[in-house]
Amino acid sequence: MRLAARGGARYAANAPRLFAAAGERRQQLRDDLALRTAQDVADTLGTMKGVLMKIGQLASYVDDGIAPPARRILGRLQDSVPPMSPELASGVIEEELGAAPERIFKEWDPLPIAAASIGQVHRAITADGQAVAVKVQYPGIAQTIAADLGNVALIRSLLKMAVPSQDVTSLIEELRERIGEELDYLREAENQRRFAAYFDGHPTARVPKIIDELSTARVMTSELAVGARFGEMLDWPQEEKDLAAETIYRFTFRSLYELRAFNGDPHPGNYLFEPGGRVTFLDFGLVKYFTPGELDPLIHMIETLCLHEDDEGFRRAMEEADFLVPGAPIPTEDVVAHMALFYDMVRERGSRTMTSEYSSAIARRYTDFKNPLAAYAKIPRPYVILQRINLGLFAILGQMNATADWRSLSEEIWPFVKAPPSTPMGEAEAPWLARARPGNL
Amino acid sequence: MAGPVSYGQVMAMTAEVFAQGGFFQRAAAAFADRVPAEPADDGFFGPASVTWRLHTDLTGPVSGLRSLLLQALHPLAMAGVEQHSEWREDPGGRFASTAAYVVTTTYGDRAAARAAAMRVRKIHERVTGTDPVTGKEYAAGDPALLIWVHAALVDSGLAAADRYGPRLSDADKDKYVAEMTAAAELVGVPPVGFADGGAPASAAELRAYFEAVRPSLATSKSTADVAAYLLDMPDVEPELAGAWEVLANAAVASLPGWARDMYGFGDGGKEPGSVPPDREEVRQVLGVLDAVYLGEPGVLEARQRLTLRMRAVGQ
Repeated sequence: MRLAARGGARYAANAPRLFAAAGERRQQLRDDLALRTAQDVADTLGTMKGVLMKIGQLASYVDDGIAPPARRILGRLQDSVPPMSPELASGVIEEELGAAPERIFKEWDPLPIAAASIGQVHRAITADGQAVAVKVQYPGIAQTIAADLGNVALIRSLLKMAVPSQDVTSLIEELRERIGEELDYLREAENQRRFAAYFDGHPTARVPKIIDELSTARVMTSELAVGARFGEMLDWPQEEKDLAAETIYRFTFRSLYELRAFNGDPHPGNYLFEPGGRVTFLDFGLVKYFTPGELDPLIHMIETLCLHEDDEGFRRAMEEADFLVPGAPIPTEDVVAHMALFYDMVRERGSRTMTSEYSSAIARRYTDFKNPLAAYAKIPRPYVILQRINLGLFAILGQMNATADWRSLSEEIWPFVKAPPSTPMGEAEAPWLARARPGNL
Repeated sequence: MAGPVSYGQVMAMTAEVFAQGGFFQRAAAAFADRVPAEPADDGFFGPASVTWRLHTDLTGPVSGLRSLLLQALHPLAMAGVEQHSEWREDPGGRFASTAAYVVTTTYGDRAAARAAAMRVRKIHERVTGTDPVTGKEYAAGDPALLIWVHAALVDSGLAAADRYGPRLSDADKDKYVAEMTAAAELVGVPPVGFADGGAPASAAELRAYFEAVRPSLATSKSTADVAAYLLDMPDVEPELAGAWEVLANAAVASLPGWARDMYGFGDGGKEPGSVPPDREEVRQVLGVLDAVYLGEPGVLEARQRLTLRMRAVGQ
């Protein structure tokens, strides 16, 4: 549950200094409140609370931000989830890996460095001396959440109120899918392997490698990543932020067009930053894979609008992709005018600065049901998550105030252009790109 | 299509619905405020008590609803409420002050609990009159009435826990009833054994008490109004009506059969023939309610204070 991770980021703020931080009073308090048994886990995340956090996460992308009262409720809900006690976490390791963590690892930090999807992350050093991050799932969480997901009537009423504009049935389906995916760390490990393999050797984008023999459905071990948190990075010079943004942009769209995969919700807790635009990408629990049949219509839309500037062609592409009801009584120029905002930053070459105002405007446009187009437009189910991730990405870039020639970056990546490098980072990518191969899909 | 409602508005709505005139916020504020940060002592129950274990469970709202439904069946208790409180004008205020009182006596130190009890005793002094239904005189400070209100609360705590909360062992049930006599005595019940006119001090005495008191109970327009108010909750959003109904039905289902019969309720709700909601479903709705409650300022911290104290004694 990534919302939980957000709450967790607070207690992980000093993660890299963890060993030194142990023994502080704050640490003491956390230990005192730690979940000690599977029953504690059920009491804390059962009775709909884990599901609520997840609904909140979905709603936060569908709606134009989260209003203060709900942010408070969700924030408090996250805060109400303490970490596992060292014994409880150790018990999960023992069940999954066959022995206590102190025996499996050369060094094991019994205190978590971060909250993760329905679990927490521990630092450890493997027998052969590698520093790793070990994600440990809350015991019993799968059964707890499965039971709550069974109460469709209650979830339906919560969703109906949370996101009245959305198709509740498909949201419930999505909620189930997402939660199911997050519960299975093997699936996340597989996602991460694909991304790690594809970006292996990339000059600035890094994906921690999975340690296969120490990973199971409820424990996932990967290389330990280091770097500054999003909040710290925001204080860096703008040139550094621009470079980091360029890496995030390249990572996101190379993944989409080459791997046909979109990674999770791009929230600030999922990145670690180092100078020179180096970004480590964390958390692959939520990855959407597209078939060529799903991706091609989107590519076609971009191609007609941005490259050929063919409004009628764009409209047809939208209709073919099921974004727009064919024959809707809306003039094509209005369709284009409405949709253009989403493509604004890639319609023309030249430097553009992403701002929070722009990302908010895009988010509002998604929920603008007063527009006459709204009655004829929809977001087909395969693309729902794509739209959300897009919104999240724009919000991140907006917060970074990132400046780049997004169009030229896109032309490097768009499969129908594949332009030569437009920036130094693009140049540096060339050798990697020459041998990068999409993972097995 | 109307503009989208944000998640925030929804949660605010949820809070309002369950709030009913600010009850929810006021109860939460009282909880945050009255769970002491630095208590002088463990109060009349303490972190090792069954009372704390039971009162920190999710089942509070069901137990509270059941308690009110039961209490309304005593004509003299009902008359006191009708003639001396403003529950019809400000039901939220009436319930919130009761909730605050229970929080203070449960978790407060002895001085805080005594002070709260003194205030209630003072108010009770003025609550006297004649019940228009039975023609009998009543006084809120009458130990018989105090025991009634007390017994209904204790019985409801046990019944709600049994069906929807931590299932207590028989020994712990006895312990809870015995512990709670302290609350009865605070408000003026004589500190003597049940046989000598004190509060019931075991589950068996509690059962005996209800057997003995049943002939004095009756329904009236007032009881019907209370039940209608509690169970129908006017102005509940249509989307939430289902959730509220689950809690209302849970309260009804946990009432003694004779009390349901007096009201004309079915087994699992106010409609005859209704089926009780299942435990899981009730706890899920309570969990949503609890999440909203946790969102109120200071509630999480107050709860953590209690958890830390309970853990310190191995509870």
